[in-house]
Amino acid sequence: MGRKFYASISVVVLLFLVVPLVVHDTFYLRVITEAIMWIGLAVTWDVLAGYTGYLNFGHGAFFGIGAYTTAILMVHKGWPFFAASIAGGAMAGLGALIAGIPTLRLRGAYFAIATWALARAIQQLALILDITGGPDGMRLPPFLQPGFFFYVMGGTVLIIFIVFWYLFEVHPFGLKVKAIRENEDGAMAMGLNPARIKIKVFIISAVPTGIIGGIYAYWITYIDPSSTLGDLVTDQAVVMAVFGGLGTLIGPAIGALIISTFKTYFWAYLSDYQVLYLIILGGLIALSVVFMPDGLWGTVYGKIQNARLAGSKEKR
Amino acid sequence: MLQLLPQAIVDGILIGGIYITVAIGFSLAYGVMHVIDFAVGEWIMLGAFMGFYLNRWLGLEPILLFPVIFLSFFVVGLWIQPLIHRVLSGRRGNPVLMGLVFTFGLALMIRGIALTVFGFYSHSIPSSLAQGSLFFQVGPIFVTIPLIRLTGLGYAVLVTMGLYYILHRTDFGLAVRALAQHKEAAGLMGVNARRTGGHVYGLYTGISATTGALIGCIFSISAQMGPDYTIFAFFVVVLAGMGYLPGVPWAAFLLGFVQSFFLIYLSPSYTMLAVFAALYLILLISPKGIFGKGV
Amino acid sequence: MGHPVLNVQSVTMAFGGLRAVDDVSFDVKPGEIVGLIGPNGAGKTTLFNVISGYLKPTQGRIFFHGDDITGKPPYDLAKIGIGRTFQIVKPFAGLSVLENVMVAVLLKHPSKKNAEANAHAVLEFTGLLDKAHMPASSLTLPGRKRLEIAKALALEPSLLLLDEVMAGLNPTEVKETTGLIQQVRDRGVTVLLIEHNMRVIMSLSHRVIVLNYGEKIAEGSPKEVAENPLVIKAYLGEEMAV
Repeated sequence: MGRKFYASISVVVLLFLVVPLVVHDTFYLRVITEAIMWIGLAVTWDVLAGYTGYLNFGHGAFFGIGAYTTAILMVHKGWPFFAASIAGGAMAGLGALIAGIPTLRLRGAYFAIATWALARAIQQLALILDITGGPDGMRLPPFLQPGFFFYVMGGTVLIIFIVFWYLFEVHPFGLKVKAIRENEDGAMAMGLNPARIKIKVFIISAVPTGIIGGIYAYWITYIDPSSTLGDLVTDQAVVMAVFGGLGTLIGPAIGALIISTFKTYFWAYLSDYQVLYLIILGGLIALSVVFMPDGLWGTVYGKIQNARLAGSKEKR
Repeated sequence: MLQLLPQAIVDGILIGGIYITVAIGFSLAYGVMHVIDFAVGEWIMLGAFMGFYLNRWLGLEPILLFPVIFLSFFVVGLWIQPLIHRVLSGRRGNPVLMGLVFTFGLALMIRGIALTVFGFYSHSIPSSLAQGSLFFQVGPIFVTIPLIRLTGLGYAVLVTMGLYYILHRTDFGLAVRALAQHKEAAGLMGVNARRTGGHVYGLYTGISATTGALIGCIFSISAQMGPDYTIFAFFVVVLAGMGYLPGVPWAAFLLGFVQSFFLIYLSPSYTMLAVFAALYLILLISPKGIFGKGV
Repeated sequence: MGHPVLNVQSVTMAFGGLRAVDDVSFDVKPGEIVGLIGPNGAGKTTLFNVISGYLKPTQGRIFFHGDDITGKPPYDLAKIGIGRTFQIVKPFAGLSVLENVMVAVLLKHPSKKNAEANAHAVLEFTGLLDKAHMPASSLTLPGRKRLEIAKALALEPSLLLLDEVMAGLNPTEVKETTGLIQQVRDRGVTVLLIEHNMRVIMSLSHRVIVLNYGEKIAEGSPKEVAENPLVIKAYLGEEMAV
């Protein structure tokens, strides 16, 4: 891995640094920033789903907790943006700890239900509290610098990606997590405490999601319960990760790029038919599961591997 | 405030009756197929709209439409189940997880289609029963029982007894119980898992759809109503113990009480929070439900 | 020395009305190989699950090197030196053979470099080194049984619980595995094994414990047990693989 990995990272970083110099159109810069945000959300969702086998159907809640924490701290307490967004991540992590303790000991079905219900409860809470502005939402101090947000969002997602790569694909921690996913009873005999490791992964998934939410809030400058805490955030992250390929870091990133690009054009040209987007999302995910359970990346990668194996056999 | 208590209790029982039918088919399907169906609220929503349009076109009393709605969605369930079966028997690592994702996608798709076809407006289904009420007064205490809600409770009792009869007095029920206990062993004893599963799923979608029509007569319906009822179904089933049918009525009544008390004494906007808090406590203290018999 | 490695005191495991393990007591001393035998359904695997923490006993206590470990979870027991295999093998199917063993090695060697070196040593010892980079799911049954032993050994346990590691192996493989277990013991690991193959039990064990319907009906040297009328009666109707 070593050299190839560092080379590809350098290329990505270089490309990333020059984008705002090449792309002057603010619309496109915004589209790219949003695509990067979705990569972050799909990948953070997948480290829990793909690496432990627990489906978090309330991912949007952690995004929303981050966004609201950041907004509240900036608007009511006058915190600087960076500190506020990190506090947003911490709050999301705390939420994961609280929600994870009773549910991650149980079978995946309970966790899926509980996280989904949690998302609805958090949305309800934001609707009735004063500090969140209720249904009217919150406005943040505007800071209209698309380039700044591109770098902040991009830098954050890049760091998330590298940290995840290290934790799950290089560090022994990743091996332990995969062992639990493959066989929980067998993993316990190896000295692993499944509930504790799953909670760690849940927190590792939630903290960056909260930070991304915080950046989103400052970038868009307006958040409200229906857009920030609605189902659509979770729905899209799930579809992107499943379509791209669960249990890898690249798959969800590819899924996020494709679907987020599609979404941009769809909403730009067919804005009257936004609900059709839901049908397409739902259809895509259901069809992926039935006909392409390894996702786009898993299927393509599997084909490449098979071709390679076949090739090496012929040589012999 | 205290004189409202009897009304709150009566309302709780009446609302609870509806939640029995919201959750009982769902619990049955989970017990047999071991997959959580995220589309449970969407079947309810679709059934509600079928009731709404049939009533509008035919002008028939909605209760009389129940058999048609049930049969239609029974067929839909028969048609959907093989897909779920295919996902669950896939050779990929975690089929249960894929089953969850599948029903999640299905729910999204149904909601999208419903929003496209039915729009965002709320409707209600006019029933002649909606006019009448029973009215009781003892001293300063008033209790009102709307006839339509009483009908709802009656329907819940009917469905519960019907299911009990099917499960415990018929060969099909025996097969279903065998399947719920042990899939492989049941297969060896000659139970056709696929066909029985299909019928169970059809039974579940059928019951859920008729419940939707009932809800349409009592409350209002809209294409966005699904997720709320999915949460209620989840709550009842977790409280009852996942897959443990006899726990469902009690859990449903408890949810009914929570809702009626919040409606009368606090504010309805806290209902979802209360439901979640209760769900959290159950998962923390007794994840197998109040009877400890979930799977 | 003092304490036995394992001390089981009147352990009962009941499921509803069924007493799968009924008031069983025994000791395992350091450096012993003890065989646990009995007809199908005698409660052997249930007893293993109780000792290794997968089940909480209804009654009774279990001591490990003199410490009460009753009701402790499996992962804590693995940490203090109890390694086990499963009759129905539980490989991490999606991981490679090397990674499977590394998961176990990490318990005692948290750094990745050490872990890899140690995992290689374990694989060499168990004869799996040439398959190190194959996915565990591609192993044949003997390979999987071996991987189970390798994983348990990689924990560097002081007590090894082996649940029917010979089942499904051909005579040559049985011989190899028997040799492997002897080597393990020579390294100072105490072994408690469930086995159906009587020849293996007779040649390997210092002592044999017999369970029937959850109760201990005999204990002694392999020879004593084989001549015990109660044991012969328990096995009547079952084919005895002597």
